Amino acid sequence: MNRVIIGLMIALCVVVGAGLFGILDSRATDVFLEATRPDFQKIPIGVFGFQNGGGPEWLGGRIEEVLKADLQRSLVFSLVDLPAIGVKAREVSTTDKAIFKQAAENGVSVLVWGKSGQKNGSKESELLMDGFVYDSGSDEVVGGKRYVGSTSVVRLMAHRFADELVFRYTGEPGIARTKIVYVAEHGNARELFVMDYDGYEPKQITADGFLNLMPRWSPDRRFIVFTAYRSRNTQDIDILELATGKRWTLVSMAGLNITPALSPDGNFLAFASSQDGNSEIYKLDTRTKTPQRLTVNQGGDLSPTWSPTGREIAFTSDRGGAPQVFIMSADGSNVRRLTYEGDYNAAPAWSPRGNWIAYVCRTAQRLYKICTVSPDGQKRVQVTTGPGIDDSPSWSPDGRHITFSSTVDGKSHIYMVDTDGKGLERITFGGTHNSSPSWSPAL
Amino acid sequence: MRIPVATMGLTLTVGMLLVMQGGCSKKSIQSGGDAQSTERGMAKSGGPAPSAMGSTGGVGGMEPPAATFPDLSLSSKPDDLETGGLRGFDSVSGGKAPSEERLGGGGTMLAKVEPSESTARQIEDIRREQAKEQAASAEAGLRDVFFGYDSWTITEEGRQSLTQDAQWIKANAGALVKIEGHCDERGTLAYNLVLGEKRAKAVRNYLVELGVGANRLAVVSYGKERPFCNERNESCYQQNRRGHVVVRSK
Repeated sequence: MNRVIIGLMIALCVVVGAGLFGILDSRATDVFLEATRPDFQKIPIGVFGFQNGGGPEWLGGRIEEVLKADLQRSLVFSLVDLPAIGVKAREVSTTDKAIFKQAAENGVSVLVWGKSGQKNGSKESELLMDGFVYDSGSDEVVGGKRYVGSTSVVRLMAHRFADELVFRYTGEPGIARTKIVYVAEHGNARELFVMDYDGYEPKQITADGFLNLMPRWSPDRRFIVFTAYRSRNTQDIDILELATGKRWTLVSMAGLNITPALSPDGNFLAFASSQDGNSEIYKLDTRTKTPQRLTVNQGGDLSPTWSPTGREIAFTSDRGGAPQVFIMSADGSNVRRLTYEGDYNAAPAWSPRGNWIAYVCRTAQRLYKICTVSPDGQKRVQVTTGPGIDDSPSWSPDGRHITFSSTVDGKSHIYMVDTDGKGLERITFGGTHNSSPSWSPAL
Repeated sequence: MRIPVATMGLTLTVGMLLVMQGGCSKKSIQSGGDAQSTERGMAKSGGPAPSAMGSTGGVGGMEPPAATFPDLSLSSKPDDLETGGLRGFDSVSGGKAPSEERLGGGGTMLAKVEPSESTARQIEDIRREQAKEQAASAEAGLRDVFFGYDSWTITEEGRQSLTQDAQWIKANAGALVKIEGHCDERGTLAYNLVLGEKRAKAVRNYLVELGVGANRLAVVSYGKERPFCNERNESCYQQNRRGHVVVRSK
């Protein structure tokens, strides 16, 4: 959505192998932001506490904790332990030149502080957070933000402040206010839930009592598309409007109707259906409601994922016997195989920057892990290791994290990991079976 | 970004309750689907298929979805999608306070789903229907078929089971049978749905070979989503790689 193109557009010719010859449009693969480059230096940031001025006792501490976690996960900033480098202050004001100077001399680029409490003269539930930013490069107080709201938006205040900081220093909106939709076991059923990207505030969005599977966001993040078992015997692809809970059926063909994915511009819904015998990929024009079949072969084709340009689709196919990841043009032409290592590669997810496709790879030890491959097939990385069945990778909108489900701790839970395999973090703790996470676009 | 808290709230809750009424609103907007489903009794009503799918083999076709579904095109959305409503920092020079931003709704407004009475009833119906199927299948003595890892090939043992199943189905002319494809927990959720369908269809095809009418056999895949056994070992996995043959309750 928020595409900042810095690199030059080039086209690569690649030999895809096994006699397949393909010309890959790699315009999308050269999109870089400074902060995704391996040599990117994180910006050292120091966070003073948020002084409490009335309001609940936990308020300042909560804001500080959420903000710090957001800044850490942004991978744009590195948190400086201020007391450890001798920068201490009980209270900071916008005119504290001495503190600013001391922080700057200790290599801190950005300083953040604030206060929080009851909003003056307001009804009891109104809370307030003030946040301020000092930049040592320009030696000035950049400015501040004031948020007001009920206790239920305290985490959002910190998230929003973190996103403003990321936006100020990268031009991107940040991911602290993003959400993850996922499937959770609820009674004997599987229902859809939406939670904050850090695992907080889970909310149930369906209550059908059977199976709702494989949710994905619309690009404007107002809707969720998913597979719903309408009865126990048939499936539809439905769309649910989050704000109202209203639901529509988009696809209702015979057989499997699974793995829906809206194109980046929202104009097409790609999905898999087995109405013609075996699972094939179709594309529905959401404006004209015209369907088009994209794949024609005896194997099972499923799990379409759009390139950020909307010009190509990666998908799973077992046309060679075992599931592998393939790429085709969005009109179904120019099909070529992308993965060659191992005999089970599935569930591809094209990164929002275009330069990687994450997928589930089966290792030589027959473990199901998360791998990434460049769209030209030249680079391949195994991102997760160790025990547990990993599934359903989905990218953060900034392209720096992958969320996925794993059974590494016994029951299936939702995790996130940096694209280099570091920063593994479990984000669901309740429930008996959480799966199929999908990360929302930034907003 | 000022989030209009007041505009969501009650009206949306009311709307949600309407949606939850036994799934009735869902039924009313259902599109046709293909009327040529071989799954008798499950065939969806709907008009003739459009020609758009005609070139792909002519089986079935796709009814255009409900004409009313909302516009999903990003081009019709407001510009502030690009920055997510971020406004930048306000100047605080001279001790000025930043201007106030009121937050509500958690960024993405979510209608709350309260498991309602009608949902509870629906869940109870599903449970009862399943119990009925189970009892009918046990009484008929229908046997399931088990598969190897990654495989949808029917084994010799599976053939014997199906030979017995076919005899019962042929002897009970009124009965409708459903074959559920199941998988063990290894592999991806999505591919296991396809694998489960391959297993169910392999079972159906063999029963047809044995002379059972295809129109009496429905298939459905549950992938790894409704396992028979929840432990993490081979004997449990074996239980879950299954073509489950059941007498349909309707």
